[in-house]
Order: sequence, then C-alpha cells, then structure tokens
Amino acid sequence: MADVAVPATATATPAVAPARMLRAVGRALVTRLTQLVALLLVVSTALFFLLRLSGDAARVLAGENASPETIELVRAQYGLDRPLVVQYGVFVGQLLRLDFGTSLYNGQDALALVLERAPATLQMSALAVLVSALLAVPIGTWLGARSGGRARNVVTVLISCVQGVPGFVTGLLLIQVFAVWWGVLPSIAGSGWTSLPLPILTLTAFLVPQLIRVLAASTGEVMRQDYVRTAVANGAGRGTVVARHALPNALLGVTALLGSQFAALMSGAMLTEFIFAWPGLGLLLINSVTTLDFPLVQATVFVIAVLVFLVNLAMDIVFQVVDPRLRRRAA
Amino acid sequence: MSTPAITPAGPDVETPEVAPAPRRMFRFGGARRGGGPVTLGIGVALALGLVTVALVAPLLNLADPMQTDLTRRLNPPGTPGHLLGTDQLGRDVLSRVLAGARWSLGIGSTAMLLGVTIGVSLGVAAAWSRSWLRTVLTRAIDIGISFPYLVTAITVVAVVGRGFWALALTLGLVCWPPVARVVYAETLGLREREYVLAARLMGVRAVSTVANHVLPALRPTVQVMAAFTFAEMMISESGLSFLGLGAPLGEPTWGNALSESRSYLATAPWMMLAPAGAIVIAVLAANLIGDGLTARSRRRGERLGS
Repeated sequence: MADVAVPATATATPAVAPARMLRAVGRALVTRLTQLVALLLVVSTALFFLLRLSGDAARVLAGENASPETIELVRAQYGLDRPLVVQYGVFVGQLLRLDFGTSLYNGQDALALVLERAPATLQMSALAVLVSALLAVPIGTWLGARSGGRARNVVTVLISCVQGVPGFVTGLLLIQVFAVWWGVLPSIAGSGWTSLPLPILTLTAFLVPQLIRVLAASTGEVMRQDYVRTAVANGAGRGTVVARHALPNALLGVTALLGSQFAALMSGAMLTEFIFAWPGLGLLLINSVTTLDFPLVQATVFVIAVLVFLVNLAMDIVFQVVDPRLRRRAA
Repeated sequence: MSTPAITPAGPDVETPEVAPAPRRMFRFGGARRGGGPVTLGIGVALALGLVTVALVAPLLNLADPMQTDLTRRLNPPGTPGHLLGTDQLGRDVLSRVLAGARWSLGIGSTAMLLGVTIGVSLGVAAAWSRSWLRTVLTRAIDIGISFPYLVTAITVVAVVGRGFWALALTLGLVCWPPVARVVYAETLGLREREYVLAARLMGVRAVSTVANHVLPALRPTVQVMAAFTFAEMMISESGLSFLGLGAPLGEPTWGNALSESRSYLATAPWMMLAPAGAIVIAVLAANLIGDGLTARSRRRGERLGS
C-alpha cells in the first residue's frame, strides 16, 4: 500500500529501510526532547514568577486566615526571605529532582497526587478518541469520496452546527436531556460504567466535526491523485479505490490532527471533567487553582506538559514508521 | 498574482487537464458553488444582529439585569415582563443574556485583536529573520501550540484576578500561537514572490516591504484567523467564567449564568438554555464568517490561477 502511495519515487530497497527508519525516529526524538526541555523551563519559570508577582507569596502559601507568625514561618520554611535569584536556583534544583513539595491543603506529596489522577484523564480521552475515530472515519471518507448531492450538503451543514457548540455547553445539554429529562444516565462520575457515556459523548462531539472535516478534505485530495486515476482506469471499483488508496493516506492526516489537537483535547477534557466531576487532571488543576494550592498547580501543569510531549513524540514516531515519504524527504 | 514562473517541470505538465478538479474539494464547507458568499452573508447577518441587540439592549426598557426580586424566583419563560423567565434570584434572564453579550463580545474582540497582533508580528518576524532568531521564534510558536492554552489562562487568571481586563488580556496573551504559525507559513511563501523579491533587491527597507507588500497580501488569511480566534475566545471566556475563574461572581455573563443554572437544571432549564443558545449563535456567526472568508479567498485564488 505504501508503494502505491509513492509510485514515482518508490525506489528504496527494503534492506535500507530499517536503518533509515531508526535514524528518522532518532531525529524526531532529539527534536522533541529539546522542545520538552524548553517547554518545561518556560512553564516552570512562568509559574515561579507568577507566584512571586501575585503579591506576597508567603501570604498566598500560608492560606487566607493565617496569622502573621504563620506567614513568617512559611516565609522562612520556603526560603522566601532570600534573594529572588537564590530562590530561582533552589526552585530549578527541586524541579530537576521532581520535587514539587507537598499540597498546602492535605500535606501529601504533590506529584504523587497528580500522578494518581492522570489515568482517569487518559482513560476518558482515549475512549473519546476511539469513539470519535469510529464515527469520523466512515462519515469523513464518505463525504470526501462524494462530490455533491443533497445528503452530503445536509451532513456538511450539520457538522458546522455541531462545531459551533462549545464543549461545556454540549455537556450541560446532554445532562439536561439524559439525566434530567429522561433520567437514564447519571450526571456525575462515580456510578460505574453508566457514568462513562455522557463525558465521552461530550468530548466526542468536540472532536468529531474537526476529524470529519480533515478526513473529507484529505480523502477528496487523494481521490484526485494520479495513482487513484490509474487505479480507476485499470478497472478498480469505487469501493476498492476508496478503501485501498484513499483511506490509508487520509488517515495520516487524521493522525496528524489528533497529535496537534491533543492540547485542545486537554483543554476540552478539563471542562468536561469539571462538569461531570470526573476525578482527572483537569478537575485537580481547577480545584488547586481555585484554592491557590501552588505546589499542586505546578505539579499538575508539569505533568500535563510531559503528557503533551509524550503524545507528540508518539505521533512523530508513528509517522516515521507509517509514512515512507517522510523518511525519504528527511534523508 | 504570480506570472507563470519557473515552475519545475514534471507533474505540472498535466496541470491544464486536472485544473478544474480542485473545486470539488473546496465546495466542502459551503453548500454549492455560491456557498461562500451565502455562508458569509448568514454569518455577518447573525453577527450584526447580535451586536445590535447587545448595544441597543440598555435602551429597550427591559428589566435591570442586576435587579433581584425574590417574590418572582424561577418564573418560566413567557411571564409578563420576563420574556425568557427569571433566575434563582428573580433577575430577568433575557436582559442578563443581553448584558452577557456585551461582556462576551467585548472580551472576545479585545483578546482577538491582541492575539492576532502578536501572532501576525511574531509570524512575520519569524519568516523574515534569519539564523538564530528564526529558530528561537519558530520553536516558541511550536511550544505555544503544543501546550493547552486554557491551562495557562486558568493559572494566570487565578493569580492575576478576575475582571474584564484581566480576562481579556490573559486570553489575548495566550491565544496567538496558531495565528503565528499560519502567518509564518504564508509569509515564507510571500518572501519569494517576484514583487517582494523586487522590492528587496531594490533595497527597500524590510519594514516598508513588510508593510506595503506582505501585510496586504496576508489580509485574507488574517481575516479568517481573526474570525476563528474570536469564536475561540468567546468559548474560552464563557468557559473560564463557567469554572468560576473568569468574570466576577454575580456579573451577568453567559459563563456565570451557565454556572448558576447547574443547580436548577431540573426546575428551571431556561436558565441554562438561554445563555447556551446565545453562545452557540455567537460562535456559529463567527465560524460562518470564517468559513465564508476562506471560501472567498480560495475562489479568488482560483480565479487568479495561482
């Protein structure tokens, strides 16, 4: 199939491919790693100064109704009475040891608390991506392979409308219909598998329109390529052409979108978790931000940054392995 | 715009034969051939209607959005004097939704203007500069795109505080990366156009070249990005208020209204449906304008044969 995708230049012998692939993967790894270091440095520095700029950090850390003695104690404990440069040095040192301190509210290790919440977010996002793909691939391919017709126009308009509904509004509407009016599904997490559909549907409604658009556009584009024309001229049926030639290439575009949309997905997941009381990273971040629990905020943002990095890296590697054209271009 | 330049021979030889085909794909997003202008028209009409209603609302002799009346709590839509009903404190839902429109449109446009300005500046600067500066700028754009901006916004707003300007500036400062990336890619192409090359070779200063030749050419792209950014900013603003991190509590905004409505979904669904409808209309208007502008600039591109 890969050979069909690049008929004109498919000259690389299979023997060279693995070494080339390894090199390409290595390159992707190095690029992404430098990006991760830069990202973490920027994010943590921003957080460091944000806390200090917000006024008296000791007062923030000590909590709202702290006595002056407590505030002074906190100041000494966190080293807030030392020069800013020293504080920053200490901060970076702690960061390198992954020491984010303890939550201001229950005294537990911040990083451990955050890591405890990560699976819930990943579970929700992964299920949503899966459902979205199952919905978007058939619809998107169908739209892209068709060139006109009333049904196609209706679907197109529908997609535009769904795309206009913000994720958290979708969530509220779903609760209104399924939990309040029909009473068939619970509106908050924690009651087994029945609490899964609504949050996942919320995220799906957010992902599916974009996926369909990209799939339809890239399928349409592939359908105009020479190799598709050749296949048609050779007597291949419409279904075969779409399934064997158009879809694999179009799916590449979708994978790329999923990678680049992961950041947006995390934003969406945050609001979804808040609406459905889903115990994930997003809810943790919102709660710790509202209570100004800074060690927890720092740890959460840090973990989210690493997650984004890992997903992007995985996408890069998948691309290098799946799409031979990339390797050739880079080499 | 580009005269038949030195295009590499090869696949392009067939171009005349395939040329009409691209239209097929581009019809997606619009209805038919005329889909662009229609979409744009509907979007602009919706947007104008919304802006007018929001601006005229204070003159309409509606109930005061802040006026509480505990004897008329949770009145359903259609109650005399309260077209869309009242909320849990007896405040008029319609006038609160209209006040929310002023808030959302204000923050959306402020944040969008700031974000687009930063995005265009950085995008053009990244494409125009050479060596290390370009590396730094493109890396910054990549990093900005790969990080969930709502996470940044939440954290910053929590520390900086609530309120119109805090929210508008924070959102504006975090929303630029997608704009910058698109502008960067487009400017890289423009850099090599003949008329830009000519200006550069004649020794026109970089600033003038950018101002006179590059920015005008970027306009269609920037307009589209502005429309989508505007929609995104309104969603983010109401999302943050919904989380209790945006507008001050009690302020009549869509996000606050939605947040308050959560406790009354069973008894007073209109408290949720009214602001939800308002957000959807506003976002839809901005998206339709974006789609319409995209279709228009594509058609222009096809007409000019580029």
